[in-house]
Amino acid sequence: MSGTESIAFDTPQRERRADTFAMWVFIGSEAMLFGAIFLVFLVAHIDFGPAFAAASKHLSLPLGTFNTAVLITSSFTMALAHRAALQRRWRATVRALAATVSLGVCFLIVKGIEYGNEIHEGLAPLLGLPFRYAGPDPVHAEFFFGLYFMMTSLHALHLIGGIVVIAGMIALWRTASPANRLRRVVAVGLYWHFVDIVWVFMFPVLYLINR
Amino acid sequence: MSELRKLTFGYLGLLALLALTVASSFVDLGGFNVALNLAIAAAKAVLIALLFMHLTGTLPRLAVAAAGLWLIILFGLTVIGR
Amino acid sequence: MSRAAMQGTYLAEGSGPRAWLLTTDHKRVAWLYLISLTAFFFLGGAMAVLMRIELATPAGDLVSDDTYNRLFSLHGIIMVWFFLVPSIPATLGNFLLPLMIGARDLAFPRLNLASWYVFIFGSLFALFAVVAGGVDTGWTFYTPLSTLYANGWVSTAAFGVFIVGFSTIMTGINFIVTVHTLRAPGLTWFRLPIFVWTLYATSLVMVLATPVLAASLILIVLERVFGIGIFNPDLGGDPLLFQHLFWFYSHPAVYIMILPGMGVVSEVLPCFSRRPLFGYKAVAISSMAIAVFGFLVWGHHMFVSGQSAYAGVVFSFLSFCVAIPSAIKVFNWSLTLRKGEISFETPMLYALFFLALFTFGGLAGLFLASLAVDVHVHDTYFVIAHFHYIMVGGMVTAYMAGLHFWWPKMTGRMYSETAGRIAATVTFVGFNLTFFPQFVVGFDGMPRRYHTYPPEFQFWNVLSSAGAVVLAIGYLMPLFYLGWSLFRGTHATDNPWNATGLEWQTSSPPPPHNFETMPVVTRPAYAYDMKGLEHERFSPHREEAAR
Repeated sequence: MSGTESIAFDTPQRERRADTFAMWVFIGSEAMLFGAIFLVFLVAHIDFGPAFAAASKHLSLPLGTFNTAVLITSSFTMALAHRAALQRRWRATVRALAATVSLGVCFLIVKGIEYGNEIHEGLAPLLGLPFRYAGPDPVHAEFFFGLYFMMTSLHALHLIGGIVVIAGMIALWRTASPANRLRRVVAVGLYWHFVDIVWVFMFPVLYLINR
Repeated sequence: MSELRKLTFGYLGLLALLALTVASSFVDLGGFNVALNLAIAAAKAVLIALLFMHLTGTLPRLAVAAAGLWLIILFGLTVIGR
Repeated sequence: MSRAAMQGTYLAEGSGPRAWLLTTDHKRVAWLYLISLTAFFFLGGAMAVLMRIELATPAGDLVSDDTYNRLFSLHGIIMVWFFLVPSIPATLGNFLLPLMIGARDLAFPRLNLASWYVFIFGSLFALFAVVAGGVDTGWTFYTPLSTLYANGWVSTAAFGVFIVGFSTIMTGINFIVTVHTLRAPGLTWFRLPIFVWTLYATSLVMVLATPVLAASLILIVLERVFGIGIFNPDLGGDPLLFQHLFWFYSHPAVYIMILPGMGVVSEVLPCFSRRPLFGYKAVAISSMAIAVFGFLVWGHHMFVSGQSAYAGVVFSFLSFCVAIPSAIKVFNWSLTLRKGEISFETPMLYALFFLALFTFGGLAGLFLASLAVDVHVHDTYFVIAHFHYIMVGGMVTAYMAGLHFWWPKMTGRMYSETAGRIAATVTFVGFNLTFFPQFVVGFDGMPRRYHTYPPEFQFWNVLSSAGAVVLAIGYLMPLFYLGWSLFRGTHATDNPWNATGLEWQTSSPPPPHNFETMPVVTRPAYAYDMKGLEHERFSPHREEAAR
């Protein structure tokens, strides 16, 4: 068939349209997943506002802000990759994709440093690690940190997924036809931007409670 | 080049909004901090969706609208149910 | 002879395990699902039969209370997630959706195959949980029982259901995109068969609700494994929040299950009464209305859980509202039969039984939507009887109707009509004998989920247990005569029922890419009254004359 991946389509244009739509439906589905997670946090926040605000101050605002900037930048480079792919400038596409992956890895490293600091300070109430907290209402502060680790690690898992897929795409770059290259860049780009949007909401919700 | 310029402006706008949201958190707005933070986050999401994700065409918008409506149902009815 | 007849069909495209396990043909993937779901159906059914045998006497003499808890939990988990949710969409839907809209395949054939592997992978977790010792939380995994007290393999089972959720979402995305982008020329939305509408509505629910179930299950696993107190009030969590998240999925999931069944019946009734579907647009739109309204009523599962009284009133009102689109459908189906040339072939028998049982079960739902009545019958056998009338009497009966209706298309063979009619009737009798008594004992106050009960309930329980045996026979019979027909059945013509619909215009079984020439649609669906379609009365046993 004329350059389509699925036998169901007669032209690559129709297939690309279907791909894009499928990605948006998938993103809608993912939005419901994160929506449920945010709802859990919202309910807890309504119940224990002051304790959560106090606990939030123990997160590292500089590292969090830096990481947000990193992720926004990776979205920008991903948008550049999309633009280059549309213009069939394949070398520029690969370079932009590589930059995106590197920024994603950078985000994970910084996140790992944050996790390390929090575990070191005794703020990680996971797997029986000791929880040491000097502020008011330690029970609900512990709950805040439980939710914090749950939410950020779920986000990190999604980011790792994106990194693996882009890395795989670059590895298989030579074997892919131009039509497939464009389709893949568009699809993974949508996913990457969505993961960025999730972080855009997670950052203020977790880090910026009434500083 | 106008496409590149749009992306760049979008990128700078996102960084500016990030700075704004962080700065606002140091000012006590008496309960409106959360609302402002969420409004800024929503503005960033719209920028990303429109400029980076090219949210155009009926079908993608349909998907986004459906997810939005269903999120409202999820949050709304859960909160009144408590 | 049989080889020659299969020449050029999708069944002739290689027969080794590789040709089946690595296929991307939607028709073969449908078979993969059909075989695995049948296995789960009989596994879950066997657990139900064990429970009914235990309940034949008031004392707990066959199994211990602990075993009984595990039996009903696994019966629920397997039947809901490993049979009912995927049943019609993944088997009949997979097979028919591209055929009905005139496409060569689903939009993403490889995603379709992947969804089956994900399903199998997830089901291995659930099966492991069964073998390793079971789960005793009920299919609902309510917290804090599931997080703090249950000692079974809760995390394993929940993780299995979580994984199967991905398979559901994959199917949902595939169907939605296929319906939007691959309709044949001339096939406008209001010319689509109702079965396609209901698959679309069901996919919408799958895509938007399943992630919330995934979230609630993964939070249970996190709470059990990592000790985050999300649903533990001692640590700040809210156990009721789990019920909100769970029912946000699980109530709409009821519509995931029943909507495709409604679609099947909307195909079968017009065909066997030789009349166009009455009120086509109303039926199509009510399918979408059910999908949307279904999301607004989950609180009626929580009337006695301590949600606010205000919320109780709102959810009660909305639950009454959701009965409206269902009633619209029932009236339209009934009016389709009016002045029809009705004949009682096996699929039609099943469809008529669906109509009776679904209506009955749905009306019982109105009792449960009333706040005060629900307080009385909550967690009794009345609830069990209600949802089994919908899920088994409605959904499984519709599934059987569809399986018999499209069996000639899927296999190219006819089954024994006599055996089919007997099986349908036995199922109907067995079903009512099993579940009608449960309405009575439930209203008298017999609670669900106990393996013993006071002796005064025994009369109705014995009836119910006897019915379960009859029902089991009714469900086992098709296994044999349908299996027999695969090898010995007479060959089916392309359109043995003289039905409208694109799937009947291609050969039985269809060629690998469905149509030799791409079809163009010029008629509305169910044009049974149009000139040029007034065929002679059909005879399903007509020998294939010209091929």
